[in-house]
Amino acid sequence: MSRGRNLGIGLAFLLPNLLGFAVFTAGPVAFAFGAGFTNWDLQSTEGLRFVGLENFANMFTDNQFWLYLVNTVYFLLGMPLAIAGSLGVALLLNANIRGLVAYRTLLYIPSVTSGVAIMILWKVLYNPTFGPINRFIEGLLGLLGIDAKGPDWLLSTNNLLALGVEKVGFVPAQFGLGAREAIIIMGIWAAVGGGNTLLYLAALGNVPAELTEAAELDGASKWNVFKHVTWPQLAPTTFFIVVMGFIGGLQGGFEQARIMTGGGPAGTTTTLAYYIYNKAFVEYQMGYASAVSLVLFLMILAVTLVNWKFGNKEVNY
Amino acid sequence: MRALFVACFAVLVVLSLVAWQLVPPIDDQGKTRLVWSTDPNPVRQAQVDLFNKLNPDLHLVIDPNNTDQQKVIVQSQGGVGPDLFDCYATEQLEAFVLTGIAWDVTDELVSRDINVQSMVWPVTLSSFIYHDRVYGFPRNFGTNALWYNKNVFDEAGVPYPKEGWTWDDLIETAKKLTKRDKTGRPVRFGLYWDFNTTAELILQFGGRQFTPDGTKCIIDSPEAAEAVQLSRDLMYKHKVAPSPVDEAALTTQGGWGSGGMTWLMKGQVAMAYGGRWWLNLMRSETAKGLRLGCIPLPKSKVDTVIGYGGITCINRHSPRRGKALRFLLFLMSKPYNELLNDQADGMSAIREYCLTERFLHNPEHPEEDYNHVWLSLIQIAQPAEISPFLRGNEMAPLRNQLDLIKGNLKPVKQALRDAARDTNERILRNVRTSPRLRDLYEELTGRRP
Amino acid sequence: MKHQAKSRLATHAVLIFLSVLALLPFFWMLLASFKSLPDISSPDPVPSSWHPENYLAVFRQVPFARYYFNSVFISAWITFLVVLTSAMAAYSFSRLQWPGRDVLFRLYIATMMIPGLVTMIPNFSLMVNLRLLDSYQGLIVPAAFSAFGTFLLRQFMLSIHPSLDEAAEIDGARPWQVFWDVIMPMAKPGLATLAIFTFMGSYGSFFWPLVMIKSEHLRTLPIGMLYFDSQYGRETNLIMAASVMSVIPLIALFVAGQKFFVRGIQLGAVKG
Repeated sequence: MSRGRNLGIGLAFLLPNLLGFAVFTAGPVAFAFGAGFTNWDLQSTEGLRFVGLENFANMFTDNQFWLYLVNTVYFLLGMPLAIAGSLGVALLLNANIRGLVAYRTLLYIPSVTSGVAIMILWKVLYNPTFGPINRFIEGLLGLLGIDAKGPDWLLSTNNLLALGVEKVGFVPAQFGLGAREAIIIMGIWAAVGGGNTLLYLAALGNVPAELTEAAELDGASKWNVFKHVTWPQLAPTTFFIVVMGFIGGLQGGFEQARIMTGGGPAGTTTTLAYYIYNKAFVEYQMGYASAVSLVLFLMILAVTLVNWKFGNKEVNY
Repeated sequence: MRALFVACFAVLVVLSLVAWQLVPPIDDQGKTRLVWSTDPNPVRQAQVDLFNKLNPDLHLVIDPNNTDQQKVIVQSQGGVGPDLFDCYATEQLEAFVLTGIAWDVTDELVSRDINVQSMVWPVTLSSFIYHDRVYGFPRNFGTNALWYNKNVFDEAGVPYPKEGWTWDDLIETAKKLTKRDKTGRPVRFGLYWDFNTTAELILQFGGRQFTPDGTKCIIDSPEAAEAVQLSRDLMYKHKVAPSPVDEAALTTQGGWGSGGMTWLMKGQVAMAYGGRWWLNLMRSETAKGLRLGCIPLPKSKVDTVIGYGGITCINRHSPRRGKALRFLLFLMSKPYNELLNDQADGMSAIREYCLTERFLHNPEHPEEDYNHVWLSLIQIAQPAEISPFLRGNEMAPLRNQLDLIKGNLKPVKQALRDAARDTNERILRNVRTSPRLRDLYEELTGRRP
Repeated sequence: MKHQAKSRLATHAVLIFLSVLALLPFFWMLLASFKSLPDISSPDPVPSSWHPENYLAVFRQVPFARYYFNSVFISAWITFLVVLTSAMAAYSFSRLQWPGRDVLFRLYIATMMIPGLVTMIPNFSLMVNLRLLDSYQGLIVPAAFSAFGTFLLRQFMLSIHPSLDEAAEIDGARPWQVFWDVIMPMAKPGLATLAIFTFMGSYGSFFWPLVMIKSEHLRTLPIGMLYFDSQYGRETNLIMAASVMSVIPLIALFVAGQKFFVRGIQLGAVKG
């Protein structure tokens, strides 16, 4: 078969997908790169013109941008817990007991149903006065003899890092459980038992039984077996999960903000993704929004590269 | 496999036909169709039906899905905009004019001997006239006043408020009407106060958000601060109005919508500051025994309120704009304005139709004995404050600080100082980057920024 | 041995506890959907009076059936197109040799890392210019091409033994026939996996429908739920009923197709 004919056939099969890819992915990416340097605004009364780095300058001098960046990073704080939780569940499911598939299915359900309906549900659950979460907390405290109100959750700007609302900094009075924690908790609930658990399960299945058995025979405790045998074997999977976690986490927070909090209270749950959405599709400042999305992209790229550099060293022993 | 895919494709094609069939059709019956992008308020349809009856060769339909300002602009620029659309504020009008979407109808009206300036309440003028050219007509206008639920007052044994009362009177009354249950949770508030009303309060206390020419934000003046402080105190000091957390508690307690109007009707608030357009939606409850009263806010330093309304404009790009003009003429006509006043969808923007016995005493609703309040208020009304140097969505620095006050996260004076500082920075930034604004700024202040 | 039995019991106990935690919100939602509105604020999760008519009320308040139809219709089209175009592309990348093949594939993979947000804005502008805003086509077409789908199916196809194609080619089959009659049947598990993934993904898709849909008759379930919540959000019992109805198809589909689900995730993670 001639190479030319091969190319023809190869491209023929590829064509529909390639066309779509060019029009809806590659093209837009290039376009976005350009748009970030213009003053493109769908309801502008000025003409479209190239403004160089003006969008970026405005962005980096805007206090709100940094606050939203902090928010975005804040939500990543839930990641270690979620990953540890998924690993824990995987270890449990790796045991030799009956009904594994049933457990695995039940535990996966939060992850599979995650979406608008579930977020609306959690918004109700978190209602400070009538939601079952606070009812439970107040009931529990009442049993212990403590008469206190539950936290305001989605309506509170308090947070566990005592971050202030207006500037990036610490304000002791802001310590508490607030909107950010509410969203993180919901995120952990939805993530544990989900895809990451399946990945760990598969990886655990690949850990050679001889290794663990040998360690146990040598008298090592369960914890040491895990720490010195299992965990290193899981390193590639953990690495993958962490990288994916960062990529997803940095561009996340949009649905939660749009559905549950409107980005508030006082902008504390606005992540960069929600900020981009508002700028682009509510205020129609497309040029500026493109610029922010480029910055986000570069952040993700940087984090991924850093992870790769350090992570790969861990993985290749 | 091929068969499977072909079968799936066939099923999808059938479903597509079903989907297309399900798109709601509009029967024009050979008339010219005009599309009006407006809100889906039920009264709107009665108004449209009246227009269609009086203009048998036209078929006006409502498109309630695309009323948002940016969507109208985007669609019109994409060539699929409506023939008529609504505009709710002066800065929106400016955007519509400058993007070339609103049709300048000044000459059309002059040629028909219509002098809109003398017809309407003065407060409405800036909402549809831009740089001395007419771009639409107000389909309604109005102000806010304090509604109160007489049943709740009676049950609590509190006498109805009287005109001429003071803010102290109001707070006292509201305190008596605020009820809590055994655990301290509020079950009824004396007052529903939309925090956005603070803008009006600022004017009443003698302050301003902006200088009259809009070049500077002065919300940190002592008068404005006093007004904002009162607004905040209603929630956190006197505790007669629900704070954001309180509102979340109230909403799950029943009622089909949220917002002051529902709570007023259900008796969860005793008084609520709102417009005459509420009345239309509340009539379903007054028929069932709800008794309402209405009274202006207590007077302060400056006797004024903010007036607002909906303006209908014609899409300059519409090929049917000549016919659409007849709708604007309809908005100026007696049948429409009488219907509007009867429906209590706000009130007519045209003076003569409000100065009638029928407006003051609607024979179908004799219990509505408070229309004189609306009449007196619209005469002292002024439009909301704007700055030509800030687009609507650039009021964010201001709004952010007000949100912090509303959430009790920051002291009033500090927040207002920061709001003024940030807003002025934004104004100057806009002036520096836009040639048009730069010229305007220089013209108004005689200074180069 | 006793030690083993004890640890097994402990494992069961923990798993049961975790399962309860995972499902508790769903139980609350289910119970709340049968409550009358004032009952929602009572501390007892169990309804004091049962109101199954809440479910019917949802259909009366908003065109819920329409939302269902739209979601299923759009997701079905997207799934069909994604599976078809990805399969063809995967075949091209895995079974055919042509110059530049591997370079182009690496480019595909690279784009999977680009945040969707970056492409949303230009895609939206494209839709506006093509007058496809607020239309079925605008919702379906941009989502119909997937680099992930290509990647997944390529993985599956690589595992099919090449001798099969060779045998078919020797018999005189042209590539199109090899594709349909040899490869595709062998790739059925992969196709099923991709189909389930894609369908469930589009069913829950939120961002793109949010910016594209303006008319009520076009709303998909997530968008419909959003508007339902903002307009009638205070009717919490109805919202819960609507949520239950939104979520049930996902659970059912997952339980039925979980074999493919699990395999798909585990395969997708094996770095190619």
